Amino acid sequence: MSLAIETHELSKRYRRVSALTECTVAVPEGRISALVGPNGAGKTTLLRLLAGLAGPTGGTASVLGGAPRQDPAFLAEIGFLAQEIPLYRRFTAEDHIRIGAHMNPRWDAALVRTRLTELRIPLDQRVGTLSGGQRAQVALALTLAKRPRLLLLDEPVAALDPLARRNFLTTLTAAMADADGDLTVVLSSHLVTDLERVCDHIVLLAGSRVQLCGDIDTLLAEHKFLVGPRKDTAPIERTHQVVHTVTTARQSTLLIRLNGPVTDPSYQAEDVSLEELVLAYMGADEAAAGKHLTTVGEGS
Amino acid sequence: MTWLVWRQYRAQAAIAAVLLAAAAAVILADGFQLASHWHSILINCAGNTGCSQQASLVNGMLGDLPYLSLIVPAVLGILWGAPLVAHELETRTSDFAWAQSVTRTRWLTVKAGWLLLAAAACGGIITALTTWWSGPDNAQHASAFNPGHFDTQGIVPVGYAVFAMALGIAAGTVTRRSVPAIAVALGGFIVLRLVISDFIRQHYMTAVTTYYDVAGSFTPRGQAWVLAQGGVSTTGRVVATGWGDLYPALPAVCQRLLPGTPTAKNTSLNSVFSCMRAHGWRGFATYQPASRYWPFQGIETGIYVLLAAALIAVTFVVIRTKDA
Amino acid sequence: MIGFRVDGRSGVPPYLQIVRQVRQALRMGVLDVGDQLPTVREVVAAVAVNPNTVLKAYRDLEREGLVEARAGHGTFVRALPPGPPPGTHSRLGRSLARWVRDAREAGLDDESMESLLRVTLRSADAADSESEEIA
Repeated sequence: MSLAIETHELSKRYRRVSALTECTVAVPEGRISALVGPNGAGKTTLLRLLAGLAGPTGGTASVLGGAPRQDPAFLAEIGFLAQEIPLYRRFTAEDHIRIGAHMNPRWDAALVRTRLTELRIPLDQRVGTLSGGQRAQVALALTLAKRPRLLLLDEPVAALDPLARRNFLTTLTAAMADADGDLTVVLSSHLVTDLERVCDHIVLLAGSRVQLCGDIDTLLAEHKFLVGPRKDTAPIERTHQVVHTVTTARQSTLLIRLNGPVTDPSYQAEDVSLEELVLAYMGADEAAAGKHLTTVGEGS
Repeated sequence: MTWLVWRQYRAQAAIAAVLLAAAAAVILADGFQLASHWHSILINCAGNTGCSQQASLVNGMLGDLPYLSLIVPAVLGILWGAPLVAHELETRTSDFAWAQSVTRTRWLTVKAGWLLLAAAACGGIITALTTWWSGPDNAQHASAFNPGHFDTQGIVPVGYAVFAMALGIAAGTVTRRSVPAIAVALGGFIVLRLVISDFIRQHYMTAVTTYYDVAGSFTPRGQAWVLAQGGVSTTGRVVATGWGDLYPALPAVCQRLLPGTPTAKNTSLNSVFSCMRAHGWRGFATYQPASRYWPFQGIETGIYVLLAAALIAVTFVVIRTKDA
Repeated sequence: MIGFRVDGRSGVPPYLQIVRQVRQALRMGVLDVGDQLPTVREVVAAVAVNPNTVLKAYRDLEREGLVEARAGHGTFVRALPPGPPPGTHSRLGRSLARWVRDAREAGLDDESMESLLRVTLRSADAADSESEEIA
């Protein structure tokens, strides 16, 4: 299984602020990977570094086998869609298609025209006058027309209504099906429910660090909620990694990452949903490595 | 890529074409009228010195044309060069352009290349028209090196136009914002032009100094550029022309001979001159000969083109190394 | 042709939802032996899910023997899911009615009965998977 993206201790500092700190991730080819994290966690920075639009201040990144570089062959394999949906507002979609044809060796103009026609988006109208959802679809179609091997999408559905969002994700998954394993997607987003149906891999950033990275199925299988009477959690902590703890007067709920079977019969083991997993790890910041204690309703 | 440049700048190209055509029409019309008037004067006045006064009345309607042809290409170069990179960065369309399969270097090469070429072409057309139009004016006045003339004819306007464009592009790339870039580029352009024309131009080649008898006069041949003229003594003191400046520098014995001073009795200027001659005074003129007109044009154009090249080199470095 | 629904919030993994919906369709007669399942492309275009999810669901169904993939043609229904032997439903229904009567006499309301059923199902699943691991 080859890796589409591999970074090692990747860092990006801006004067006093560290946007990314020693990030090590691996995204296998053919995955749709969710890039998740609170605002300011470094998602945009990571995507821009991978696309070659910015340079790291530390560590290395390997994208499709090599470091991101100013090389037409490399640029042709990467599709990057920035958060603000960058298009020339005064140009029409057809203009953009012509621009793409001139600036890319592989260019599937028919793909753009077909997709936009299916979505009833006019090709001869200035892009600036289209709605947000329509612009996002135009931008995505133009990015796909490059026939890239890696798609980096920075919060493309953030500003879209539910229908536009669904259309966008449908276009994306259809392209994935057509590519038959030749396409890898990294999609940053806040909406976990969308992620669960579309993504099979996740990279979670919080506080400029990587908190979680791996196949979603594997991660969900590796994590469990342990619900049981409130007591000393040290024995559990010795064996497993405790990610998050909620205690009431009588009960403890621990979110653990399994390191072997759970042998304490007083705990009830329950499955963890993706949303619960994401929320738990997103709460983890640089200072508290893993353990976060909340006490709820003493005496309830 | 070239198509993209055209598509982005076709409005500006249209405006420039219209302006150029209008300017050409007006200049040609006025210039033809000017030339025929001048021609008829030359014929009528052949050998007749009294005609010189009539000749000085020959003035095109576009008296200030040279200054306009100086300002407009420079302003347009800065106005259209500054947004080249800055506007793309401001509106984030750079995220689209640089996500295609064209490297940033190639992107800049094509865009800047066409714009610089256009600047040179426009500058060339304007200067050709202005030079032709100035024919009669040049024939009358020994003013080839004067700022209003040197800057607006020959080949230097091409250098200015190219430099203005390069300055605009570089300013836009460094400031990443169109409006500050325009301000910086305009300011920088004005300052540099003034500094070069007022302080540096005269030193392109070592000026020639000719000495002559203190009683005589000397005018360099043709349309030379006189930098300084006056009297010089054996001690090397250089004084400007005019008795007001000369008098205080003379030895007392010569001063007393100056007609009009209380001590002068039956003297004439010639006695003053003989006295000065005896004391080793000579007249001098430091000038750039008329024959250096084209070399100077070439040097100045070369300077501006080199500056433009340096600015473009800086632009390339910034584009390649800074984060998008 | 069957249409799939994937609910992102149901807690059930998307691929499992597809597997269950195919099994349900087979049980209800919406799909019959020899019918073609929608292609990955068709599913994905209708319901925005990862193509790998559909592939995984179809592979699971193939492993269960319910469908078979014919290279270049698509995925076709091979067999119907085994139902319980005849009379099972009525037999189990009668013992369930007896249990409900016992529970009501003991004082359980409907909600408590449902909760007990759920817990029992879960621990039965856990026991099954543990015994699978040991085996």
